[in-house]
Amino acid sequence: MKPFTYVRPADAKAAIAAAGASGASFLAGGTTLVDLMRLEVMSPSALVDVGHLPLSQIERRGDGIRIGAMARNSDVATHALVVERYPLLAQALLAGASQQVRNMATVGGNLLQRTRCPYFRDPAVPCNKRAPGTGCSALDGYTRSHAILGTSSSCIATHPSDMCVALVALDAVVHTRSGGRDRAIPIGEFHTLPGDHPEVENALEQGELVTHVELPASPFAAHARYVKVRDRAAFAFALAAAAVGLDVADGRIRAARVALGGVATKPWRSLEAEQALVGQPPSRASFERAAAAAIVDPKPRRDNAFKVGLAKNTIVRALELAWGAP
Amino acid sequence: MSPVETPIAVGMAAPIFVLHGDDRRGGDQRPLSSSEARGRPWVLAFARRWTPGRDAEAIRAQLRGLGAILFIVSDTGVWSFRPDDDIELSLGPSRRLRREIAALAARCGVGARDDGVFVIDGDGIVQFALAPSGELSATLAGALDAAGRELLGLPPRPGITRREWAVMSMVAGFGVALFAGCGGGAAQRPAPPAVAAKAGSEIDILLRINGQDRRLRVDARVSLLDALREQLALTGTRKGCDHGQCGACTVLRDGRAVNACLTLAVSAEGAEITTIEGLARGDALHPVQAAFISHDAFQCGYCTSGQVMSAVALLGEGRAKTDDEVRQQMSGNICRCGAYPNIIAAIQAARKGAQS
Repeated sequence: MKPFTYVRPADAKAAIAAAGASGASFLAGGTTLVDLMRLEVMSPSALVDVGHLPLSQIERRGDGIRIGAMARNSDVATHALVVERYPLLAQALLAGASQQVRNMATVGGNLLQRTRCPYFRDPAVPCNKRAPGTGCSALDGYTRSHAILGTSSSCIATHPSDMCVALVALDAVVHTRSGGRDRAIPIGEFHTLPGDHPEVENALEQGELVTHVELPASPFAAHARYVKVRDRAAFAFALAAAAVGLDVADGRIRAARVALGGVATKPWRSLEAEQALVGQPPSRASFERAAAAAIVDPKPRRDNAFKVGLAKNTIVRALELAWGAP
Repeated sequence: MSPVETPIAVGMAAPIFVLHGDDRRGGDQRPLSSSEARGRPWVLAFARRWTPGRDAEAIRAQLRGLGAILFIVSDTGVWSFRPDDDIELSLGPSRRLRREIAALAARCGVGARDDGVFVIDGDGIVQFALAPSGELSATLAGALDAAGRELLGLPPRPGITRREWAVMSMVAGFGVALFAGCGGGAAQRPAPPAVAAKAGSEIDILLRINGQDRRLRVDARVSLLDALREQLALTGTRKGCDHGQCGACTVLRDGRAVNACLTLAVSAEGAEITTIEGLARGDALHPVQAAFISHDAFQCGYCTSGQVMSAVALLGEGRAKTDDEVRQQMSGNICRCGAYPNIIAAIQAARKGAQS
């Protein structure tokens, strides 16, 4: 691990000021950052520790909920308000990592989770995300874990977060603060596609601190499900995941949410699948049509072509479980 | 409410209730509901002969410290202590209220003339249940005292039995869950001091390990794991993968399992750290340690301290009950020898011992 300046600020204002310096990074739970620093994949010049700042409240906000950026994943997943109103978020959080990591990882940090692409994690090989312009080792490498949606010729790394997939389905808004300016960023605009600049992963500017995430009232609590398919039953990253919600009235789907994880370069919302569901009866046939509509122009590679079918099946399964099929 | 007839017990969802006062009295007799506590910890106490008195103030002071709401159900009415705004509501006795209380007590498995105490965390899960019990004030004060002592890092009162220690472990877990649930717990401890240390310089930090203050000087890059092993000679915590994937380095941070390898020592300042060395009380092993031995829950033993720490945290949380739930909760601890069946058996034995 490379040496770094360590700053433990007294408050958020001091944190933002300290993190404005080029090369500085906020430190929250550390589950991604400390790991990647030890691998020397990331070598920030300064760490601004925000884990102790009083940004961990989870509270009702109007009809919705406000979750502090420093709220731990395990606290969010078991909070009564979340369990009751946003079971999708609770399920996604509990599907991720281990209890130790969930106890450390924060909502703010999870929004910024870095990819598990093995080439990104190996400083010895080229990677456009880690070292811009060096090339992508994955393109001709072993691609079983890689993305089929949202890829570019520069990067095919999968976004690893479970939480973010649920947040995309729940219309989350990410609230940030930087020098004197507060921003509210819809989750769909928070993460960016790799394009020619896979080193840029989100809309944040240097020193911009995520303060909290807000979720609006959700009509999907009664029929929501996160399904994660992975190589082992626990503590593994998704090969494919689906976060879905159904709002059904009079035998017809009034509104739907379909978001995908494990198959795309960012948490992936499928408006196509949602449109295919609206107005239809909640049935296996409707679910299969939606799943077929969800995967638009996939770019599978040698080792991950199975994800096209797996993603569709995962969507169908999630919709069935959300609706209550056995 | 679930139609299940099993009485409420630790690990189950809290009883949901709405209690109505005597409408004819008018005034402030709005119903009292468990939903008032939603999202924060609360205590439901059946104390049939209790009347507000001197002990009420003492109990309320403790609740205020912990940020919990207390409902006391007595023969003379129902009382609600809300530590945040100091409002104390009560419902006078009525036939309807007596019926509602009888139903609630039955749901909780508390006899018509018995006392009982249920502690519910901020997630609506029962963390501590005692029914029937002796006098309320002693029971509740004892539970809060134990939780408070654990949270303040004080040793348990001397002369306790192993079974009492097991119960206290659960109570300590409740206390931690309480703090986590109310979100204000960390604020009650002084925030760690502000630091700005140039790269390569060393930082003087104060860690609280197993109830003791330990001062040390570290490079900011030093993990909590290395600080424990290399500087404090607490080598019971093991280094396995050093990347948060194996769980050998698991310690408790404010009662919750974390990976010491992914924790920077400087970031642990202000937290209460418990390592495997901090579990036993003298020669008395922690019930989880004893269960690991009696169930032969290891082979080479390298992962064991991490397994034990995760298991202690699991029991404190009180959520995982079935074998599958325990496996899922323990999935961050890898055992290369494959002692998993005996590890699960040991944890289940400790869990049942703590509840009996």
